Amino acid sequence: MARLLAREFERLSTDLEERVKTAVLTVVRDRLDRAAQRRGCARTDLATTLLAVAASGDRFVAVHVGDGVIGVMRRDGPDVLSAPDNGAYVNETTFVTSARAHESMRLIRGPLEGVEGFILMSDGSAESLYDPRSRRLAGACAKLNRAIGRPEAQGLRARAAHREVREILATRIRAATRDDCSLAILARSDG
Amino acid sequence: MAKLTIGDDDLIENPTPRVPVVLCLDTSGSMDGAPIRELVRGIAEFIAAIDADEDAHDAAEVAVVEFNSRATLVHEFSSVDNFQSIASLRALGGTAMGEGVNLALDVLEARKGTYSDNGVLYYQPWLVLMTDGAPNGNHVQLERAIERVTAAIADRKLTIFPIGIGEAADMDMLARFSPNKPPLRLQGLNFKEFFQWLSKSVSKVSQSSPGDAPPKLDLQGLAGWADL
Repeated sequence: MARLLAREFERLSTDLEERVKTAVLTVVRDRLDRAAQRRGCARTDLATTLLAVAASGDRFVAVHVGDGVIGVMRRDGPDVLSAPDNGAYVNETTFVTSARAHESMRLIRGPLEGVEGFILMSDGSAESLYDPRSRRLAGACAKLNRAIGRPEAQGLRARAAHREVREILATRIRAATRDDCSLAILARSDG
Repeated sequence: MAKLTIGDDDLIENPTPRVPVVLCLDTSGSMDGAPIRELVRGIAEFIAAIDADEDAHDAAEVAVVEFNSRATLVHEFSSVDNFQSIASLRALGGTAMGEGVNLALDVLEARKGTYSDNGVLYYQPWLVLMTDGAPNGNHVQLERAIERVTAAIADRKLTIFPIGIGEAADMDMLARFSPNKPPLRLQGLNFKEFFQWLSKSVSKVSQSSPGDAPPKLDLQGLAGWADL
């Protein structure tokens, strides 16, 4: 998926939405099929949600299937770019292996102006970093983004900032959930 | 060296997703005596078992509906902390099962609305239907109840646990409410064992994540207290 976004960013950022969604699912499912073959299992055994953001030049492309949250850090504050697709119940969502993955996929493309970074989180992390009632991100998101993008402004070295973000994920965020806790931050150092 | 500080105010404490469980219980005259006493004791055991389980305690919300010649909401949906213990139930009259199930479904729908209005996430609701006989209430209500339940199951909006009490329980009727899994028949008056099993199932589902298979009947766990 990362390779697709990196190699074909221009096409993905301009092509017809339906074609981009098909290209994303084709690549992801092909990879899952290969992995399933290696493991001797079915593709559906490797069901997964998908959150991805790529940025190049003055534009970004975000892709989201299933639950979890993609947030965008703007100069005037954090914002939810893509909210969870939970289905009717908390333990239901759409996976890239689901029949309705194409229908559920959110493809968001836009300018990078005023954007200081992106934060991508699985549902476990979202329990501490996203409020589904107000559909807002927690204040911690902006702090985490700044720590990664401009650590020196927080009096941190880059390596220490990464270590501290990992520690917060492994302790504070992890302790608040039984779900998987993934977190990815794409932060501008010149924002 | 500075440190990245994330305070409690920087994080969100979301409410625990709920597992709504409505107990829809036959309190007709044939339940008089030991059955109704054991049923009341079983409900208390159920609440106590949920209370003792860290996961189920935070997630479960329980309501109780009874049906005899009519249907009554005995206990509104509440957490186990707010559950007022039911000291006794009176067994008398007929078996208005359709009316009971319809009331239970109405109560469930209202609770789901409350969750949605308050941004509380929830798991698929559970309906536990227990009877020792055959329905003799309003036929139209009964057919409507069966239709509502089976449609909700088909839409994955409901999980039903149909339970027969004793030999006179109309298992064919219970089966009509449950197209995907057969009803259980309690051996004797093993309410306690059933409710213990139910509380464990609530605990299990409250820990489930997307992609987990829905909870299945633990057939080995039935040994000694119920028959399929």
